[in-house]
Amino acid sequence: MTRLVDVPSQFDDRSFDQFAGAFAEAAKDGERLLFDAHAAEWASPYGLVGLLVAGQAARGTGHGGEGAGERPLLTAPTHADVLTYWTRAGFFREAAELFEIHGKVPRVKAAAESDVLLPVTPVRAAEDVHAVVSNIQQRASAILASELGLDPKATMGFAMALSEACQNIVEHAGTGGWVAVQAYYWRRTLAKRVVVIAVGDAGVGFRHSLEPTQSKRFGTRWGDAAALEAALIQGISRFRDPGRGQGLAGIRRYLARWDGKIAIRSGTARIAIVPKWDDDVPLKDGLPPFPGAQVLIIIPEQGSTKR
Amino acid sequence: MIQHIDVHAVLQESVSGVYTDLVTRPTGRVVREGIERAMATAAGEVAVARIDFTRVGCIDYSCADEIVAKLLRSRPGVLVLMGVSDGHREAIEPVLAGHRLAVLIERPDGTLEAVGAPDAAAALLEELVARRLAARSAGGTLTLT
Repeated sequence: MTRLVDVPSQFDDRSFDQFAGAFAEAAKDGERLLFDAHAAEWASPYGLVGLLVAGQAARGTGHGGEGAGERPLLTAPTHADVLTYWTRAGFFREAAELFEIHGKVPRVKAAAESDVLLPVTPVRAAEDVHAVVSNIQQRASAILASELGLDPKATMGFAMALSEACQNIVEHAGTGGWVAVQAYYWRRTLAKRVVVIAVGDAGVGFRHSLEPTQSKRFGTRWGDAAALEAALIQGISRFRDPGRGQGLAGIRRYLARWDGKIAIRSGTARIAIVPKWDDDVPLKDGLPPFPGAQVLIIIPEQGSTKR
Repeated sequence: MIQHIDVHAVLQESVSGVYTDLVTRPTGRVVREGIERAMATAAGEVAVARIDFTRVGCIDYSCADEIVAKLLRSRPGVLVLMGVSDGHREAIEPVLAGHRLAVLIERPDGTLEAVGAPDAAAALLEELVARRLAARSAGGTLTLT
């Protein structure tokens, strides 16, 4: 039997929990999954990376059910523009290995559009992070300076933030993941251009990574939310080396300077550093479970971003 | 004697001939070990090691910690960084401040600046003058002797 997981028509961080809920419900008995994206109208980098993560998790954990070891199914969007955009964003290049895809996928080169700063790119090892950082700098430089109004010197900070976000996968996930970077006009919240970094993996997640060193300290409070708080707010790492935990702290500094936002979802919780222009909540717990960790970074066009 | 170590060359030899960025902990670790080997095999007594970041692209926080902070913690000698851009400083300064460490940066005009934790930076400059490794000009700036 095949279980259906609806992909939201507007698939981004706001609709992600709806997707995670559908995924958790459908995946619990280990049957083969069908991710239905035929009605998708738009997906942010966070949505595209999240869909790959779900595909990876669905393939890897069949729980011994009928779907164990089988690739999940994916119905591609039917709208031609959406299909082309997902292809240009590099989604189908990665999805082809994870899903049995139904629908006609156009042959378009990834990253042919200028707003795709980095197409969906796999991150498995330190070498991949080098490639990501090397590729992004030239493309991001023009966008950050001319379209977002950031100081040209901010490009290096952007590459640093991207590097640290990707390293979370290499150092903590215990499996590979993906990163994507796009610039777009964000009508809904800001009415400004933004650059969005999305990083996701289907690995062990923050709670599992920090549990051996932190669970006792938090006692009964220990869980996904406490683990995210420890990592993002307190700069705690699973390593005993005193220099560890610099990465997320560095990202926070960079975002504070450019009025940016970071949100991390792991397991059943989500934490965010919320700038004034956004109405997100700092911490949510009791969300539908989702494998690994998903990081969202948003840097807005500079100028007044007060709502 | 002042020893000169070209970080870009160490990166190219140690990790890859393609990339110019100091990113990821494994890269930082390999590059630091390369620098430590160069220091250990230097001929003669080295008073100052000048670590040259010219031609290095981006440095992330992990590499700043793995290279600069760990070199400072493990090596009793004087380290001077040169070829350091504003972007490099953005990673190095907060990492050192977090460790309550400081390092000397040699500007293009040869003058020295200590960056990192303020108390450690002040102590470092005083030590440098006391050991006569640097001298103050009439204008109060410091340069290596």
